[in-house]
Amino acid sequence: MTRKIRIAHLACGSEYSGIQKEIEHAVAAVNAEIVYPEVDTDTIKDAVREWGLEVASPDLQLMIARAKSIVEGGFPVDAVFITTCFRCAEGAITRSELRRYIHERANLPVISYSFTERTTAETLLTRMEALVTTALRRTLLAREKQTGLTAGIDSGSTTTKAVVMRDNEIIGVGWVDTTEVLKSAELAYTTALKMAGVNKSEIQALGTTGYGRLLVGEAMKAALVQEELTVNSKGAVYLAEKQKGPATVIDIGGMDNKAISVMDGIPGSFTMGGICAGASGRFLDMTARRLGVDISELGPLASKGDHNRVTMNSYCIVFGTQSLVNALSLGASKEDVASAACYSVAEQVFDQQLQELEIVEPVIMVGGTSLISGLVEAMQDLLRTKVVVPKYSQYIGAVGSALLASGFVE
Amino acid sequence: MAKILIFPSNSLILSDLVARFGHEPLTLMRVIRRKITEVGIDSPPINVTPEDPKRGLKYAAVDVPSGVRGRMALLDPLIEEAEAAIIVHEADYSFGCMGCARTNELVKYIVRNKDIPRLELAYPTNDDEAREFVQKIRDFCESLTHKAEVPA
Amino acid sequence: MVSDEITKMVVLADSSPILPSELALRAYELSTDAVVKETCFGLIVTGSEKAVNETIEELRKLDPSGIFVKDRGFPPGDSRRCRAVRGGGARPGFHQLEKESAILPSISYGLETIDDPVDAKERKTRDKLKIDRLIEIIEEQSKEDVNG
Repeated sequence: MTRKIRIAHLACGSEYSGIQKEIEHAVAAVNAEIVYPEVDTDTIKDAVREWGLEVASPDLQLMIARAKSIVEGGFPVDAVFITTCFRCAEGAITRSELRRYIHERANLPVISYSFTERTTAETLLTRMEALVTTALRRTLLAREKQTGLTAGIDSGSTTTKAVVMRDNEIIGVGWVDTTEVLKSAELAYTTALKMAGVNKSEIQALGTTGYGRLLVGEAMKAALVQEELTVNSKGAVYLAEKQKGPATVIDIGGMDNKAISVMDGIPGSFTMGGICAGASGRFLDMTARRLGVDISELGPLASKGDHNRVTMNSYCIVFGTQSLVNALSLGASKEDVASAACYSVAEQVFDQQLQELEIVEPVIMVGGTSLISGLVEAMQDLLRTKVVVPKYSQYIGAVGSALLASGFVE
Repeated sequence: MAKILIFPSNSLILSDLVARFGHEPLTLMRVIRRKITEVGIDSPPINVTPEDPKRGLKYAAVDVPSGVRGRMALLDPLIEEAEAAIIVHEADYSFGCMGCARTNELVKYIVRNKDIPRLELAYPTNDDEAREFVQKIRDFCESLTHKAEVPA
Repeated sequence: MVSDEITKMVVLADSSPILPSELALRAYELSTDAVVKETCFGLIVTGSEKAVNETIEELRKLDPSGIFVKDRGFPPGDSRRCRAVRGGGARPGFHQLEKESAILPSISYGLETIDDPVDAKERKTRDKLKIDRLIEIIEEQSKEDVNG
């Protein structure tokens, strides 16, 4: 058995929020262990002064001293997990600056998270998985080009996507609605292979991601089975040609949303939302149906409208749709209603998820919803920055998987 | 014998001196002891559960970080029972339970607003200051003893 | 663990003539029901409240002003707090104890000389400079600069 991955936990408040046990569960689930860097008591004050951020809370000062023990003292760890309380300003500043400091100076994978007392091990697990992957598969993640003939399947909750790549080019794609996980994966994959004009047996390595990754990965003997945070981060910066430095990846999915703060193609902190359908692609799907247009027409329609002309009383998929229906009955144009729907989704994601994240340019939108131009425009408006939508953005997970899988090609 | 809230509430020096001068120091360590021996709760390391930050709503609203509310829940029995208080300033090395500056500000504010005798002083940095420090605590403790002896 | 057991830490000031080993030896001699564990600071005493308090009362007699006592929430070696089990560095409370231990010799001195008068000289305050005095300084400096 290989040794356990050592994750340094730099934290303020987690023990007092009642969630330390949840953190320990998540860490144990990925076969890692929590360690606390050695710090000499007398050096804590000096460490804080040298580092230069004058935080008032002693536990945050201890976090800084522990971070310095990793960076300068050579305390041996494989990865770092930084947590502070949600809504604490000095905690958030310390957390984000420590993350940058450790990533840049110690070149270690770092993930940060702001918790509440409602944080559970399940919420933390994907983060731990990504953190451990980054620690274990550094060479693989450093890969910037796809080589050989590989494929990727993204088995999502709503749609299943597949791509076939050869020598850094996408040569085949497949996109189907997810019904039965394996059948849908098979169908998407066959479509992509057909378009690429290659046989399944020729594929040198396959990667899977998304909700159904384990099932599909096992059935199809995938070389790489990877959660979507790592894969999407890598895929997004690859497609947008922004592999070096910071970036922000936004993926509004059919069932959950991801906003990932990326550094050199590796996820650093992220928020995942998955409770409200009103903040998902589903809401736009329903709007398109109500307007009697195809989902692919919703974006251009929204671009012509003005969301301000429709009053939305709620972000909710039930009550928000009610507002849209009311607006239509009062004579609002389809364009304005489409625009209001896009704005509603973007605004909810912005309010509830992006506030927790450090948004740095370039901002890259990926996933199926990134093709809805009205949604991208609404996000640009809210973030007051240009949003990049790379070609093949809807295949992000499949592309990321095919790219990373090429690391397994001999 | 009076129950004296000490701040920092996990201080060795303060709990020792208060006990030495005849009173009961209200310390976090006793709260922790109760917590960790609570039957049926398994939430290591100190058995604070997500219920504690909810109990902390007594002192701070839901928009206050969970770590502040959880710590306030631990401090609640000390605040409730306190018949007197000794607050030491410049205790900037109070980690753990006393490791959050915002919680510490709130605790001191609440204690200052309680109608109880209170002594506030700074941690000593040399022998002379230490003598003054010890004297002030002794005098404060004695004043509480005398008060208790005066019939109402 | 029986829930009515308590644990206290006995901490020696660096200035105390008593050695931790002497303290431990005395504790063992007392043969109360309390369990004693030596640490780098002094001792950890666990047992019924009565046994622990009796032990401590006796121990204090060795050096009343140099021995300090604090309650401890956890019994010794509890895996929830134990450094050996919970990888690497110390728990936050250790740093606090270490910091407080550093000023124990002064507190010890304070206790020994508690009845001596306190030197009335005030601590240095950090009041802001009066504006009139600042103006004077600026004027003096300007003169010097001109003359210099």
